[in-house]
Amino acid sequence: MMTDSTEAKSNPSNVTKRLQKELRTLMISGSPGISAFPEGDNMFKWVGTIEGAKGTVYEGLSYKLSLTFPSQYPIEAVKVRFETPCYHPNVDTHGNICLDILKEKWSALYDVRTVLLSIQSLLGEPNIDSPLNTNAADLWKDQVLYKKVLLEKYNKDVKKTNHCTEESNKLS
Amino acid sequence: MSADSSTSSPKTEGQAPNEDDQQHGTYECNICLETANDPVVSMCGHLFCWPCLHQWLETRPNRQTCPVCKAGISKDKVIPIYGRGNPNPQDPREKLPPRPAGQRSEPESSNPFHNFGLGGDGNFQFSFGIGAFPFGIFASTLNFNDGRPGQPPPNSPQQAEEQFLSKVFLWVAIIFIFWLLIA
Repeated sequence: MMTDSTEAKSNPSNVTKRLQKELRTLMISGSPGISAFPEGDNMFKWVGTIEGAKGTVYEGLSYKLSLTFPSQYPIEAVKVRFETPCYHPNVDTHGNICLDILKEKWSALYDVRTVLLSIQSLLGEPNIDSPLNTNAADLWKDQVLYKKVLLEKYNKDVKKTNHCTEESNKLS
Repeated sequence: MSADSSTSSPKTEGQAPNEDDQQHGTYECNICLETANDPVVSMCGHLFCWPCLHQWLETRPNRQTCPVCKAGISKDKVIPIYGRGNPNPQDPREKLPPRPAGQRSEPESSNPFHNFGLGGDGNFQFSFGIGAFPFGIFASTLNFNDGRPGQPPPNSPQQAEEQFLSKVFLWVAIIFIFWLLIA
């Protein structure tokens, strides 16, 4: 009896249950600018999309992310990575994100929706003090120049991911 | 940090996509999002399944905070909730999950000799283990004479083992000298 319930909580089926619930909430609530959906049949791996918030330099840009849920979710945080290359002070070249709520400030209450919303607001409000991309952090002060560099990189990267072979041929 | 505060609020305030969810949502565990099972409530008023909350606390022994509001929280500061349906309510903190049992490691060398089946006394097993029975008898009697009295039961196997080892070396030395004399 004791072990039943303790095991039940770390049981993958319970995690799946919670993820299904999150998916339902996410689809019903329809938060603007964010979306996420499981990748294929695997409930533990989702693909998310974030659009840059209005009034920020990221307005009009959209980014794909991968969300990987550990078997201990939501006790352990979901792992989130930018799949679309993202030029941002708190995102490194591999798409890793430096965000406290994904690390030491994680709470079991957070879900896909709040995580994506947090990342969306991180885009417009970077934490300049602990940058992963120092170049972007230095440039952040000059918003006009930042936007110019950002768009250049975004256009280049998005084209690259869309027409990978064509672009690489042209570039070389 | 700014992202943190700005996004944790929409979840707690506006988590009611439809009526059905709103009704049931009141008694949902904040961790598994299911209707709380073995419910406990924190001093800050947040409801959890005890197994869920226990798992959360276990993974953060140094920073035990409420997942919802980050107030301090601990096993002793949650209140179990007993509904009407349960005929013999039991404090979920007592039954779930079982506390880790105290660890008592067997002395390693005693394991191979368990098959001898000579009762529970380690000294006997050791003595027979060497196979030198004339000395073995002495060893066991010596152990009984000075080993036992005044020792706490949990420690006795280890101390007996130490004493036994010292005796083994003593006997090995004697045998060695004996062999030297013969040879």
